[in-house]
Amino acid sequence: MAVQSWVDMLKSSKKTALIHDGKRKIHYLFADGKEMSEEYDLKTDELIIRKWRHKSTLGAQGQWQVEVGEPLAGHIPSLDSEGIKESCSNPTFMRKDTKASFQWRIRNLPYPKDIFSVSVEPSERCIIIKTSNKKYYKKFSIPDIDRNQLPLDSDALSFTHANNTLIISYKKPKEILTLEQELLKELKKMKGTNEGDVDCKTQ
Amino acid sequence: SLKQMAATKVPEVRDITRIERIGAHSHIRGLGLDDALEPRQVSQGMVGQLASRRAAGVILEMIKDGHIAGRAVLIAGQPGTGKTAIAMGIAQSLGPDTPFTALAGSEIFSLEMSKTEALSQAFRKAIGVRIKEETEIIEGEVVEIQIDRPATGTGAKVGKLTLKTTEMETIYDLGNKMIDSLSKEKVQAGDVITIDKATGKISKLGRSFTRARDYDAMGAQTQFVQCPEGELQKRKEVVHTVSLHEIDVINSRTQGFLALFSGDTGEIKSEVREQINAKVCEWREEGKAEIIPGVLFIDEVHMLDIECFSFLNRALESDLSPVLIMATNRGITRIRGTNYQSPHGIPIDLLDRLLIIATSPYNEKETRQILKIRCEEEDVELTEEAQTILTRIALETSLRYAIQLISTAALVCRKRKGTEVHVDDIKKVYALFLDEARSSQYMKEYQDSFLFNETRDLIHWFETCV
Repeated sequence: MAVQSWVDMLKSSKKTALIHDGKRKIHYLFADGKEMSEEYDLKTDELIIRKWRHKSTLGAQGQWQVEVGEPLAGHIPSLDSEGIKESCSNPTFMRKDTKASFQWRIRNLPYPKDIFSVSVEPSERCIIIKTSNKKYYKKFSIPDIDRNQLPLDSDALSFTHANNTLIISYKKPKEILTLEQELLKELKKMKGTNEGDVDCKTQ
Repeated sequence: SLKQMAATKVPEVRDITRIERIGAHSHIRGLGLDDALEPRQVSQGMVGQLASRRAAGVILEMIKDGHIAGRAVLIAGQPGTGKTAIAMGIAQSLGPDTPFTALAGSEIFSLEMSKTEALSQAFRKAIGVRIKEETEIIEGEVVEIQIDRPATGTGAKVGKLTLKTTEMETIYDLGNKMIDSLSKEKVQAGDVITIDKATGKISKLGRSFTRARDYDAMGAQTQFVQCPEGELQKRKEVVHTVSLHEIDVINSRTQGFLALFSGDTGEIKSEVREQINAKVCEWREEGKAEIIPGVLFIDEVHMLDIECFSFLNRALESDLSPVLIMATNRGITRIRGTNYQSPHGIPIDLLDRLLIIATSPYNEKETRQILKIRCEEEDVELTEEAQTILTRIALETSLRYAIQLISTAALVCRKRKGTEVHVDDIKKVYALFLDEARSSQYMKEYQDSFLFNETRDLIHWFETCV
C-alpha cells in the first residue's frame, strides 16, 4: 500500500463522471480492482457520500461499504437472511464531513455529555470513544489520514453533545485541504454529461 | 387455566443428532489399520480383504503426504467384495480437511454439460485450497436473551439478544434461524459466545467469571472465561478450505457465487480456470495459501467412454491433479465408444499408469462378521441360528442380497411384535423376495406367460453380457 502514494493512485485510477440530481458523481476504478464512488453537492462542493467496494480474497463481489455519508437506503437485508442484526434502538455511527473538518455523528446516545470521553490513540492510528457507564465504545480510524500517511494530532479533535447526538470533529490537516481542493479542480475539468445515461465502463 | 397453559406450552426444539441415513457403507469409519499400516482382521467396520486394505493404506499415506499429484489407483474385484468400502475407508481416514469427491461413472453423462466438463469439475472439486480470509464476528457476554413466541402458536418468533463487553452493550434483533440455533446451543445469560456473522455459527466460549456464584446453572465441567474487552464486533482471520471448483464458480461472473447454493453451476470457461490456476499458484508462492490435493473416486469406471479415458490421461499429467481412485467389477470387456476389448474396459495406456488393487470374495467367517456389523448398524438383533442361515444365504446368493434381507426380516419380526429376528423371519423374506439367480430361473420357467414373449432373447442377451 505504501509503495504507491494515494495521489498517484487517484491519478492512475479510471474515472467516470456524471452530473445527476444536483450532484457530481464520480466512479473510480483502481488497478487492484477496488472501486470508489463519490458524490459532491453541485452548489456547495461538499462531499455527500463516499463508498468503497472490494472483492473478497477468493474473488467474490462485495457489498458497497459507506465511508462518508448516510448508510445506503433501499438495500436493507431481511432479518431472516442475515440471522442477526443490530436493533434500531442502538446508537448509529456515521461520518459527515464539513469543508474544514472530518465529522462523525453518533445518534441515539441519550446520556449526559460528561459520560463521554473521546481521545486520539496515535500508536494505533485511531480515535476511541468511551462511556463511563459502559454503554457505548467505538474505535475508528480516519481513512483519509491513513491513505496520506499523516500523523494523528489530539489538538485537532473536539466533540459536543446535543439532542441525543454526539458530534466529533477533527480539523483537516493542511495537506488534506490542499489535496481535496486540487482533486475537486480536476474533477470539475472532467467532461461528464449533464443528465441521463453515460457510458459506464466499469465492468 | 390448564387449557391455556397447554396451548402456550413452549415447543421443544428438536435435537437432530443423526442427520445421515443408514447407507450401504455408513458402517465404514476407516481402513482398520494399525500405526504400522498392518490391517486388523475386524476394525472400523472393515472385515477381511487384508492385502487390499494394506495396499490402500500405503496409498493413503501417499495422499496424506500431499506431495504426489496425478497418481491413479484402480480397485478391481467381483461384485460385493468391498471395493466401494475401501474407497470410503480412505475417505474417512483423510479427515474433514482433505477433499473427497465421489461419483459413479454414469453420472458424467448429462445433457446439462459435456462429459469432459463434468470430469473437469469433479477433478477441481477434489483439490482443496487452504486460505486465510477475514470474517466479522460478534464476541460478547450474554446479558439477556428474550424470545417471544406468538400466542397463537403459529407465525414468526421475535427475538432480542443483549450482548456486552467490558466497555459497551448492544441489543441485536434475531432472525428465526438464529433463535433456533441459540436455543439448540442452550445459550443463556452469563454465557460468553461468538457469532460468525457470515455463517451464523455460534460458539460458546464458557461462562463469565462474574457469574461464578450461580451454582445452579452449571454442570461439572463448566469453564469460566473473562468478559471480552473492547468492541463487540471484531474482524478475525480464519483459515478455511475451499475447492478449486468453488473458486471457479465464485469467479464466473455470469453465474455468481449464488450458483453454489442452487447447485446449478453450468459450464465454466477455460479462461476463468486458467486465471484461477495462475492466481492460486501465486498465492502458494507468496505463502498465502496451501494446496491440498484430495481424492477423486470414480465408481463403475467401465461406464466411461474412450473420450473420458483420454481426458483422464491428460488430466493426470497436471500438477494440480488429485489422486484418482477408480473401481470396477468388470473383467475383459469392450471399451465404451470403441470396438476394442480391454481388461476392465479401460484402455491399455491408462491401465499402464494405474496401481491396481484386487479384492477377492469373502470367506464364510468374514461374511458372518460383515452381516453382524450391518445388523448393529441397522439396529437389528438376530438369533444365532438366524445369523448362520443368513450367512449361508450370503455365500450362496450374494452379500448384497443377504444385507437386504436384514432390514426386511427386521420389519417382519417387528410386525409379529418380536424383538429378535428368528430363522422363520428370514425364511419368510427369502420366500418373498427373489435373489438374482432365482429371478433368472423364474424368468426362464415362465417366459411364455410374460407380456412380450421376448424373454428367451432377453435372457440370452443377459448371458452374453455377463
